Amino acid sequence: MPTITIFKDDFESLLKGTRATHRTVSIAQVEEWLMLVKGELKGHNPDTGELRIELQDSNRPDLWCCEGIARQIRIKQQGKIAQYPFLTGKTKPKAKIVVKPGMEQVRPYVAACAARGYQVTSQGLAQLIQTQEKLAEIFGHKRKTVSIGIYQLSKITFPVTYELVQPGEARFTPLGMETVMTLAEMLMVHPKGVEYGGILAGASRVPILRDAANQPLSFPPIINSREVGEVQVGDDQLFVEVTGTDLPMVVLTLNIFAANLADRGATIEPILVEYPTRTSLGKRVITPQDLKKSKTIPIHTIEQALGQELGIKVVQHALEVYGYEVSAGKGSVLVKLPPYRQDLMHTMDVVEDVAMSCGYGEFTPVMPAQFTVGGLSRIEQVSDRARELMVGLGFQEIISNILGSPEQYSGHMRIDETEWGQTVKVDNVMTLNFSCLRQWILPSLLRIEAASSRAFYPHRLFEAGDVAIPDATHEAGSRTETVLGAVIAHAAAHFSEIHSCLDTLFYYLGKEYRLEPVPHPSFLEGRAGRVLVADKPIGVIGEVHPEVLERWQIAMPVVAFDLNLSQLIS
Amino acid sequence: MDISSVIDSLHPLEIKVLLTMGARRPAVAFKSEDLAVAAELEPSQLSMAVEWLLAKALIEIQSEIVTPVVSLTKIGEEYHQTAAPIERILAAARDAAGTGKRLTIGDLQTQPGLDPSDVSKAVGRLKKEGALLIIQGGCIETTGRPSPTADALRPLLEEVHGSSRELTSFSPERQQLIEDYSVKRGNAKEPFRVDERVTRSFVLSPSGASAVQQLMNQGVVEEVSQLSPELLKDGSWRQKRFRKYTISLRAPRVGTGKKHPYREFLDTVKAKLVSMGFQEMRGALVETEFWNMDALFMPQFHPARDIHDVYFVKQPTHAAMADESILSKVGQVHEHGGKTGSSGWGYAFDLQRAKRLVLRSQGTAVSARTLAASPNIPGKYFSIARCFRYDQVDATHATDFFQVEGIVLGEDINFRTLLGLLNLFAHEVAQAKEVKFLPAYFPFTEPSVELHVRHPRLGWMELGGAGLFRPEVTVPLGVTAPVIAWGLGLDRMAMVALGIHDIRELFTDNLELIRTTRGLF
Repeated sequence: MPTITIFKDDFESLLKGTRATHRTVSIAQVEEWLMLVKGELKGHNPDTGELRIELQDSNRPDLWCCEGIARQIRIKQQGKIAQYPFLTGKTKPKAKIVVKPGMEQVRPYVAACAARGYQVTSQGLAQLIQTQEKLAEIFGHKRKTVSIGIYQLSKITFPVTYELVQPGEARFTPLGMETVMTLAEMLMVHPKGVEYGGILAGASRVPILRDAANQPLSFPPIINSREVGEVQVGDDQLFVEVTGTDLPMVVLTLNIFAANLADRGATIEPILVEYPTRTSLGKRVITPQDLKKSKTIPIHTIEQALGQELGIKVVQHALEVYGYEVSAGKGSVLVKLPPYRQDLMHTMDVVEDVAMSCGYGEFTPVMPAQFTVGGLSRIEQVSDRARELMVGLGFQEIISNILGSPEQYSGHMRIDETEWGQTVKVDNVMTLNFSCLRQWILPSLLRIEAASSRAFYPHRLFEAGDVAIPDATHEAGSRTETVLGAVIAHAAAHFSEIHSCLDTLFYYLGKEYRLEPVPHPSFLEGRAGRVLVADKPIGVIGEVHPEVLERWQIAMPVVAFDLNLSQLIS
Repeated sequence: MDISSVIDSLHPLEIKVLLTMGARRPAVAFKSEDLAVAAELEPSQLSMAVEWLLAKALIEIQSEIVTPVVSLTKIGEEYHQTAAPIERILAAARDAAGTGKRLTIGDLQTQPGLDPSDVSKAVGRLKKEGALLIIQGGCIETTGRPSPTADALRPLLEEVHGSSRELTSFSPERQQLIEDYSVKRGNAKEPFRVDERVTRSFVLSPSGASAVQQLMNQGVVEEVSQLSPELLKDGSWRQKRFRKYTISLRAPRVGTGKKHPYREFLDTVKAKLVSMGFQEMRGALVETEFWNMDALFMPQFHPARDIHDVYFVKQPTHAAMADESILSKVGQVHEHGGKTGSSGWGYAFDLQRAKRLVLRSQGTAVSARTLAASPNIPGKYFSIARCFRYDQVDATHATDFFQVEGIVLGEDINFRTLLGLLNLFAHEVAQAKEVKFLPAYFPFTEPSVELHVRHPRLGWMELGGAGLFRPEVTVPLGVTAPVIAWGLGLDRMAMVALGIHDIRELFTDNLELIRTTRGLF
């Protein structure tokens, strides 16, 4: 979900197209329009005119820019789709990119176009750079699948070559540096080389774009040449290239840039890309190119999904003012996505666009009418009953994080190397404090004890919650079970006090149990027991070992039990 | 005034004083000290009882006599022990006359314990009385005449020493002398002090008299502080009086058994959902990527599946899934859409990746498992599932948290019934009358809706998100009926109800805070 910054007056002029007069719109109006693009206004700076907008749809990269948002709204306003003549195939490409063999091993695809006649403004430049960053970062998976370069067209001699070189062989001055360096040096020294170099890991030769004069344009997907690849305010002839590993995504990205620049008044000149072998789009690919994603959809399917009769006319109109090309058939529509979109996987994608184009407010809510019976799971019922009983016994309920540290759950409890001390651990640890799941409740309660010596005594605490118990016989290597833990802490806390509570609990749960002495390191020897139900151990009870209390820095005797409710009812 | 209720409120000391006063016939006025003796009370006890009785208007002040009383100051006690300056100077002058030595005022001022102001005051008085003469050079000589002051002072010191005396018990001359040598403003170094002693005398008021009458009629009753089994057993409580307490005092705190306020909030949500016909689902904390994401049609290259978003399990890394058929069904949908009518994501699905174990990152994983386990149609399900996200913990981000969410299955499910369900949630869960439906994006639903409501206390807020499950989700799991997937974001409502501003406080370790949070929902 990208968040972008746009300028309000830039947005307003894009809204009206290149010819119409400029009109100021209210913030409330902007917010309402943003519904069309699943956008949310996150901030507005009236002094600079900056608007911060979060775009939700991760399948609509065309909307992650000022031009795309304005386009979607403009189409709806003007009631007609945006025309991009350079996509009709009638413009003959004047320039060419030659792809040399071997690219398919590293970064196979490239798409490019030239744009003339739009003089770059400072706001326009900021948008160009922002779109380049957002598309490469989020849509292009941190430049892995797609990356973008923008250049001064006048400095390039065609044809351009896309090929592989030894990293030590080629050299140029990259953006952000003062001196000439080899591609190998860029990978080691340049911040972008360090950040994105991993994409090329394992490749002995790396991609380079060079023009007919053997002048390097860039080292994709790392960095542009400073000589050619630094666009400035006032430039009016641009060259845009996209490289990547997925041809449809590479072409789509270029289509978005071409449409954006065309919306700002540029004339787009397509470029011919010559591959050494056939791609899914052929050997000679003209870019930008409308991939013409289309689908025939029965009206009935749309109406059924939306729960409303619309008729073919309404559907056709709704889709047209949302940017689709639509031809109506008998009981169905043939829809084609605009060239800057590719997100048509299923009929339901079109259904949503119909609803958005009509406006969600146009659909009257209807209650689902079919009867169903509500209820709680067995374990939740038992857990709720146990909680009621614990409250009746005078215990305060606690709720804790499940993710904690092995030190809390096992180390402090003196059970590190025992069967009780095993936990489900996290592989990609961020901090040790959140590095494993709890396997019992008692440490969660001692955490409260350790922090609450000033709260008046006695303390009687309990928690009923989930734990994860490692179990090699289980498919996932662990079982999630619901466990009830309880502690009593005060100057004279005593085994029999907690035993009485356990006994009462069992009486009202209607279960028979017995205690069997157990040498459990968390408890004082001779004052700890295993809780057995039908000879199956389902918990422990005892006086907490003074060394455990010391490790938690608790200065009050504590007695406790820990009872596995899932095991109790299984 | 209701005399019997006044009588019930009487402290034993008050009763003693009232009975003492009422015992004397005919009625007389009592001075405080006489009353203390007669009632056998310490002066402090008496003064408490008298103040209370005055406040209840059971006794009245009959007279208030102000008596000047003389006592020795600390300096007076010193003079009594040794000698007053006037005595010392007269003696010194007589001594000098006897030996023929010259005695100057300066000599006197250097004597220990005599300061210049003492000396000049004493010499002035002796000179005025004619007992001394000051001759040239500041020399002092005795005239041989007596000093009435010096002569009177010694017996006076003797008389007042040890206990105070009424000023009027002295002769007018001596009263004048006391007056001259007593502590006054600006003159603190004097042997005598004159205080005003107030002597009050009390009589029973008419209501006091009737109270006494009633008390006497009742007879003397023993007072007890606590009812006991013994008193109940032999019925002797009838002869006892139970002291009344001051019930306006602050009550001592008591430890109580109580549910956790956040859990209580979740319990009310749970009860609401059950009342609307939802069946609870349970799931595991450790899930496979398959159920957590693949089954929800999130492509394996989806950014939210990154190691910076999800916690991966260390050991075992992968689940031992015996039945791979469902994996490959879902995998085909990812690759080319399978039999769902979708084009799919168009990438090579990694079966091994699907088995990777993670900590459940979204409650929708529980819904996915329910879809695959032959759910009821029509059917409604919910879960309140603990989920984990790889997030820096701060005031708005927790690393583990609850997600309230679920599904609704039915042949009548469509976009409008989806909006109807959200309307119901708005009314039932947030008591909101106004709602807004905004387009939204979730990887597993299409169309998707965000539910915004006007909460009676919080104003406009996002209450949840929902949508119709994509066929790419439901079909490979064996469900052909349309399915609503919904989730409610309730933490903000909970935090306002609990009066906290930091999400970490939902799981606080501060027992005092947990005990004192009311949690009104």
